[in-house]
Amino acid sequence: MINFILLILIYTGIYALMAIGQNLITGYVGLLSLTQAGFFAIGSYVTAILSVTYGIDFWITVPIAGILAALFGVVIGLPTLRLSGDYLAIATLGFGEIVRNILNNWDSLTNGPMGIQRIPMITVFGMKISPYAKWGFLVVVWLFVLVAFVLFERLANSRMGRALEAVREDEIAASSMGINATRYKVWAFALGAGIAGVAGSLQSTFILSVTPGVFTFMVSIMVLCMVVLGGMGNFAAVILGAFIIQFISYFPQLVGLSNIIPPQFKQILFGLILVTMMIWRPQGILGRKTRGEPAIFKRRGGKK
Amino acid sequence: MKKILVVLMIVAVMSGITLFANGQDEAVSEVKVGFIGPMTGDYGNYGDLISKGVLLAMDEKNAAGGIAGKVNIELVIEDSEGDPQKGLAGIEKLSSSDKIVALTGPVFTGVSFAVGERVQVEGIMMVTPSGTHKDITNIGDYVFRTVASDGLQGEVSGRYFHEVLGIDELGVLYVKNDYSQGLFEGTSESFEAAGGTVTIAETAQAGDKDFKTQLTKIKAAGPDAVYIPNYTAEMAQILEQASQLGLDIPFISGDGFSNPEIYQLAGDYTDGVIYVGPTQVSETDDYKDFVAAYTEKWGFAPDSFATNAYDAANILFAAMEKVYNETGKFDRTDIRDAFAATKDYSGVTGTINFAENGDLVAYQGVYKVNGTTPEYIGTYTVVDGELVEVTL
Amino acid sequence: MGSISEFFQHLMNGLTLGGIYALIALGYTMVYGILKFINFAHGDILMVGSYIGLFTFNAIRGQQMGIWTIVAFFIAMIAGMLFSAVLGVLIERIAYKPLRRATRLAPLLSAIGVSFILSNTAAWAWGTKSRKLDYPFDNTPFTIGGVAITPHQILILVVVIIMMVSLKLFVDRSRIGKAMRATSLDQDTAKLMGIKADQIIAITFAIGSALAATAGFLIALEIKVYPSMGMMTGLKAFVAAVVGGIGNISGAMLGGILLGLLETFGVALLGIPYGMRDTIAFVALIIILLIKPEGLLGKVEKEKV
Repeated sequence: MINFILLILIYTGIYALMAIGQNLITGYVGLLSLTQAGFFAIGSYVTAILSVTYGIDFWITVPIAGILAALFGVVIGLPTLRLSGDYLAIATLGFGEIVRNILNNWDSLTNGPMGIQRIPMITVFGMKISPYAKWGFLVVVWLFVLVAFVLFERLANSRMGRALEAVREDEIAASSMGINATRYKVWAFALGAGIAGVAGSLQSTFILSVTPGVFTFMVSIMVLCMVVLGGMGNFAAVILGAFIIQFISYFPQLVGLSNIIPPQFKQILFGLILVTMMIWRPQGILGRKTRGEPAIFKRRGGKK
Repeated sequence: MKKILVVLMIVAVMSGITLFANGQDEAVSEVKVGFIGPMTGDYGNYGDLISKGVLLAMDEKNAAGGIAGKVNIELVIEDSEGDPQKGLAGIEKLSSSDKIVALTGPVFTGVSFAVGERVQVEGIMMVTPSGTHKDITNIGDYVFRTVASDGLQGEVSGRYFHEVLGIDELGVLYVKNDYSQGLFEGTSESFEAAGGTVTIAETAQAGDKDFKTQLTKIKAAGPDAVYIPNYTAEMAQILEQASQLGLDIPFISGDGFSNPEIYQLAGDYTDGVIYVGPTQVSETDDYKDFVAAYTEKWGFAPDSFATNAYDAANILFAAMEKVYNETGKFDRTDIRDAFAATKDYSGVTGTINFAENGDLVAYQGVYKVNGTTPEYIGTYTVVDGELVEVTL
Repeated sequence: MGSISEFFQHLMNGLTLGGIYALIALGYTMVYGILKFINFAHGDILMVGSYIGLFTFNAIRGQQMGIWTIVAFFIAMIAGMLFSAVLGVLIERIAYKPLRRATRLAPLLSAIGVSFILSNTAAWAWGTKSRKLDYPFDNTPFTIGGVAITPHQILILVVVIIMMVSLKLFVDRSRIGKAMRATSLDQDTAKLMGIKADQIIAITFAIGSALAATAGFLIALEIKVYPSMGMMTGLKAFVAAVVGGIGNISGAMLGGILLGLLETFGVALLGIPYGMRDTIAFVALIIILLIKPEGLLGKVEKEKV
């Protein structure tokens, strides 16, 4: 029982990292990006390939995973950030699918659909952090979350954070004040991508294997759900959002409900909760900490 | 603040339910066995089909009084959705909440690796009826399977196609998933080692339904035969569309073709297909009885994976019975040892033995479809790189 | 690539694949045009419609193939359309309508929830096995100059053209169509003008969902019926709609056909492995969006449904 709760908390931590990144992109800059799955996959594969094929230690692969994912963030961000709203969403979703598609086909590097197995465990001072012992791994994951939370929170309250909000509220006004909107957007995109890459590293050392099939756009959607459900523009809220989504996903197993209900009911329940939550609190559970509503998420259907 | 309180309260209530739901832990009148497989999502069909093989074995055993005539078996099924992350959650729950004594499944390679590493550490034996990746059993001594590895199937297929069927130029159309990729790699390697050439290898994405582009290219390349080591639904599409394109080249396939569903989906297009699959299954009376019982109970016929699952479950129950009779309890390690010690078990798929590493000691049967009925041709294996026909 | 006939065979394959995308894209684009949100459940409505059609067809078709089979086929199709239309309206009422004034992301997530509910309910109620929908007519291919063509391929292309033209006429010429365009432009102003916006939105959903069912039923002849049948094809169809300019009816058709041709010829001409065709589709999408951010035929506000 307690082990299962720890497992949920580990998954929460990994997804919370992605949600923090998504929150910077969506909650602060107001960009509807659906590509965290792609960066997550890149991070996972960087750690898998470097540690299995080249025997490089996990702690060295983490920054590489983060930086590489961030670079891809810039590569995808530079051209697509000109797009707005749903067009950006579908273009970024496309990028995520491209990553998965390439991982599945580049047999010589990624071993194709067979994936990569036997990824070494994390070691700290020569001590193995077994994903099965849970506590150790939990601490590692949540340290990452804590660091990310502090960094991103500070960033949001810095000059850059204010610039990002200014860009979100009114890009033209912000530009006329001398804020380079595109540069800030790309920065936000890169940081959000980088942290998802780090989450990928952690994921692959928890599962100890990677296969391309799991990085579908549903992962991106789940991350977006966490952000919206928790409350956009609020880093603490999106961590809560990550917990709630994971909790709902695994709740039937936690209480042993999965022994008695048909397997599909678990998914149906998830769908029902999602719809209900949205109708109940469309602005998220904790709501926005910052002022105002991003332009692209403004109320729809007319001037208000 | 109020909102946070509401959320916390919901969480608290839910956790409360949790505690109550897990309160019971009684005497040994019941023993739990786990199953992990995709029960929902694109491949939910396979989890369903295979888990029902295990369920049938369980029901039969329980109807006969259970283990040693008194302990009822309960199968706990956890959905992996084909995702290792969900698979790990499943084994976590099965291991710590349900306290299962052994695991059947997982169904597919990806989840089998993740779960396999875990059960090895935990000391729970698992037996997969369908995870064909050649390295799965190398995880450790707690991992078994009742399906031939794609290594063996590939070796037999490649050599048989060239040496017996006389195919020199082979075309391949396979889907980029672990199962089909494994068979493609294994078969093309041995086919070329035997002296043939793979002249055209086309791929498709998982979930594809349209194969006309690849088939048009294959038609233009004109190989002697086309190898389609895919899942049932995909092969049905390929056969039908090949006929629509007027592609007049023989098709050959692997154990995915043993699923009788193919004849419903593809009908007459299956005529003439030759496939390599599990040994001899259509021959024995035991097998026929199993198919009849399965079909009567579930309303559809089993495929070879479900058949493997049925055997796996029965071997497991026999091992559990042996342990229980000797010690009066169900120790996970003892069960693993008893399972590994299985010798010449007479299952519905034939005589079953396990190799040192937990692999099934298996032969491969060859079948040719006449209309919509598979006809048994012979049984083969590969010894020291030579194709050998086996008489059973 | 080899001969001329091989080229035309690829062309035919690409056109029908594109026709399938276009069929689904039409429904997507309708709904998006008026409510400006990605209805993720569209593919699942398509799936439900196909099941209903399949059940109806199998129940009434009888043994002999003949004129009645074809009539039965159309009756079944209409049954599927009606059921889907009602389902679509119901979903809109329950899951989207309360969110009409919420942030734009809320209905998107709600739609994902609906998609989970529909596909898993179907899997639970009807099983996950693929079901075959028999052709109501003889689908033996005929050959023209070495190119094999099936009657089904022709049917798909004909239906897609009929649907596009009639939809366009409906939206451009009819009173309801006019109201739809007004609602799409500005809901509140439309209301002030005496248009019952709620009703118009419901009608749009009904039509969009019926279109989905038609598309599903027709492609089911080729791809079979199963619970996740709407998912991936639906995503591609959405890409097609965006490429063409979402909200634009001719755009959906153009985008669909273009995507089908790109995927087919990307493989045939460029020698890209077919397993990579998603990459082809999405790279094309990104390039087109970069050149024309509103899609090929997008932009003209008036054109929007």
